[in-house]
Amino acid sequence: MASLRGLSRPARGLPLSQASLQTFSTSSRRCAASQAAAAVAVEELAELEDSALHTPQLSPEEKEEFRPWKRQVDREFSLPSGRYTYHPPKFSRGPLHPIQSPPSSDPTARDFVPGPFNLPRLRHTYLSTCASDIMTLAYQHVPPGTEKKEAPQRLRGWDGSSPYHKNRPLRGPRGSAVLAIREKDINFTNIPELKEITVASFVPKALGDKDYLLVCRNVMLALTGTLPEITQTKADVAQWHMRAGQPAGVKTTLIGNAAYEFLDRMVNIVFPRIKDWRGIEATTGDSAGNLAWGFGPEEVKLFPEVEANYQMYAPRMIPGCRVFVKTTATSDRQARLLMQTLGVPFYGEVRN
Amino acid sequence: MSLFQSLRGLFRSSQQQCIRSISTTPVPLKGAGGGGPKKPSSGNKPGGGFGASGKSVRRSQRGNDQPRDPKMINLMRHLAVLNPKRIPAPLRMARNRYLRHWTIHRAWLLFRRKQREERERVWMKQYQSMNRACEELRLTSGPDTRPEGYLFRVAMEKWGVYGLKGVPIEYARPQVETPPRVAWSHDWKP
Repeated sequence: MASLRGLSRPARGLPLSQASLQTFSTSSRRCAASQAAAAVAVEELAELEDSALHTPQLSPEEKEEFRPWKRQVDREFSLPSGRYTYHPPKFSRGPLHPIQSPPSSDPTARDFVPGPFNLPRLRHTYLSTCASDIMTLAYQHVPPGTEKKEAPQRLRGWDGSSPYHKNRPLRGPRGSAVLAIREKDINFTNIPELKEITVASFVPKALGDKDYLLVCRNVMLALTGTLPEITQTKADVAQWHMRAGQPAGVKTTLIGNAAYEFLDRMVNIVFPRIKDWRGIEATTGDSAGNLAWGFGPEEVKLFPEVEANYQMYAPRMIPGCRVFVKTTATSDRQARLLMQTLGVPFYGEVRN
Repeated sequence: MSLFQSLRGLFRSSQQQCIRSISTTPVPLKGAGGGGPKKPSSGNKPGGGFGASGKSVRRSQRGNDQPRDPKMINLMRHLAVLNPKRIPAPLRMARNRYLRHWTIHRAWLLFRRKQREERERVWMKQYQSMNRACEELRLTSGPDTRPEGYLFRVAMEKWGVYGLKGVPIEYARPQVETPPRVAWSHDWKP
């Protein structure tokens, strides 16, 4: 279609099928016999072709009359631009501002990304096999008529000693601001699934030499295919010559297909090549279905993206990284079950 | 051009996903840097003279007399490709072209939705089958002199499901179009 744009208007009036058939020939040699056969085929196809994109053929008189350049030259004043001049805003000004960016699915949006162009094989395996297997493995039968157990209230109430306690919201648990998530039984609506993968790297040497951060950003860019975000140090530590707010690390998050691809690379390429590797420690997890592990510099070098251009980065500066795998599982054991079906082996003590 | 299109998503926030077609090799920025890495001695200061790419990168803290490592200059150029200044303006489409895109997008969403619903329907059927089978087991007595519900209790035992050997490692084999002839090589050594 792009090649058609350069042609004159009468030539563009040709049926599309004819033009495309003529441009894409299977061999470089042209034979009279095959061309004649192709022409016959084109004529047959042209009758079948019915597309709204076609324009009617112009008669010779119309072609003679059609001189847009003449009209342009003869016009005394220039016409207003007929182009569609809408530009999406460069910056988000908040949800209440009248100027809003179009959704990212809109091809004219600034954050539009075409695709997806493939289905990752790990995701395909998960959807076709692993999901139903996990559901079957973890199936817990509840006979009909069983009374539902009332979950105990974990939030603390107010004793009512003050009149101001009325209508106050309940207090959080004692000792921690976080209410731990409860494990849910797996059924066909909540099969654990890979949600996203966050890759983070902390480079304390970047405080002294900025080159370390540069290498780290490039390595993360190569590993994940996204531009990583630079993270700042949080605390002042005098012994390490560290002040709060200095750039000393990067992080980036992969979602959807990219996360599956990254996990696939870890499972099938990196893990088998780590020397004396026993697996992931089974005590990992935040008891809410999110698992994490880390790679040292030697193991980051095993990623094919880094390995391919190993000498491009200064090899002594290649950083380690941490990988946080977030799943929709509601407990660590469910998340471990999911990861095991996807090929991540675990070892050691099992806590929860 | 395809590279720039793939980088379009990186413009507004760094969290945006970008497809994996980014080459890991550095793109020589011939327009900006004038070919390969310049010698630092050609400019007044080290790290200068890279056009738009050099300005955005903070100068290193080392002294002016010490030249910058060419590897680092290379990496800086690599990142400079992703500078928001270099990402081209968004696409512009007239009405008909936009409507064609919109129609295709809606069709794609519909297709995905149908696929997802089909998957969920299969899972629901499997779940209901398990439910019916377990209910049948629960109300069955036997084998032999076993009391009612014996088979159900055996079926509901979950020993080792959540353990480390719950899923054999041989299970985790991604499905591919051309699977190997030998499914699992037990003699493989790294």
